[in-house]
Amino acid sequence: MKTFLRILLLAALCGLGFWLWMILFPSPEKVVLKKIASLAATVTFSADASNITRAGKAGKLIGFFAVDAQIIFDAPGQTARTLSGRDEIRAAALAGFGGMPALQVRFLDVSVRIGADRQTADVSCTARANAGDRQDFGVQEMHFQLKQLDGDWLITRAETVKTLS
Amino acid sequence: MIVCWQLSGSFRFNTCVFNVKQNSPFAQWLRVLTIGRRPKVTLTRIAVLVVTCFVTFKFILLPIRLEGISMQPTLRTGQVNFVNRLAYLRHAPRRGDIVSVRLAGPHVMLMKRIIGLPGETISFHAGRAYINGQPLDEPYVKFSCDWEHEPIPCGLDQYYVVGDNRSMPYEAHTQGRAERARIMGKLLL
Repeated sequence: MKTFLRILLLAALCGLGFWLWMILFPSPEKVVLKKIASLAATVTFSADASNITRAGKAGKLIGFFAVDAQIIFDAPGQTARTLSGRDEIRAAALAGFGGMPALQVRFLDVSVRIGADRQTADVSCTARANAGDRQDFGVQEMHFQLKQLDGDWLITRAETVKTLS
Repeated sequence: MIVCWQLSGSFRFNTCVFNVKQNSPFAQWLRVLTIGRRPKVTLTRIAVLVVTCFVTFKFILLPIRLEGISMQPTLRTGQVNFVNRLAYLRHAPRRGDIVSVRLAGPHVMLMKRIIGLPGETISFHAGRAYINGQPLDEPYVKFSCDWEHEPIPCGLDQYYVVGDNRSMPYEAHTQGRAERARIMGKLLL
């Protein structure tokens, strides 16, 4: 019985150690997943969010992108547009956030592929966005490219994917 | 005289002991209702049921809830349905089938009707769909439509999918060529 308890305690300690290891030193996949979830939270705001809050979110959004990042947007029924660099992204975010009553963004089916060099990552997901309190929503397949720069994973390219050509 | 038999391996004595209160007909009825006459068999049945449900609803029939207006009036927002993932094991998708087209994964899918098959050319004139220049009979399209579009050729691995509700402008309707790999299955109901 004593031996059994000792083995059980050892197994529990091993499990705890593994859990702590995963918390303290997360895998790149987990870091990127967290980054994408954080991006969705950043661009989400409610109808009662003030202009200052919205401007703050637009400023925070820039932190997710590399200096020379590109956003290529080409969705059905929308005008194709390319944003290059943080300044253009910030300006577009400010205009977009200011013009919408509210925005809720969720990234679903997120799959992360870490490059062989462990410094780059490809992310595929489906973005679901609700603008305002309306029931109307849009879904769009997205592809992100991230790169580890100065210890932080930053988006270097974000583009819409045409599900139907 | 004492008679003795060797008990077979499968034989087990009933070791359940009930107190007087439990022996009442109500207690016995309650016990049978909750765990059955043979708890082991009941547990096995539950396990089989759970595994069957998991396999069925994860890999064979995907439960879905429909949202959006693009398939009206055939399908309405809020309807619950299933996607049969085994529908195209024996044959290729057919014209007129309502299929689910996956985006990045299975959590969000587009529900559309196949009107164009691989190798065909699809065009729209005066709101009517044409396949290789021949008008397509579509009794499921109930709303008026004024779409005009140049012929679009489908590749050898592509199906042209479109919704039944074509009352909105052509550009505002999500439609186009879907690769076979994106078609997850056929709508069941």
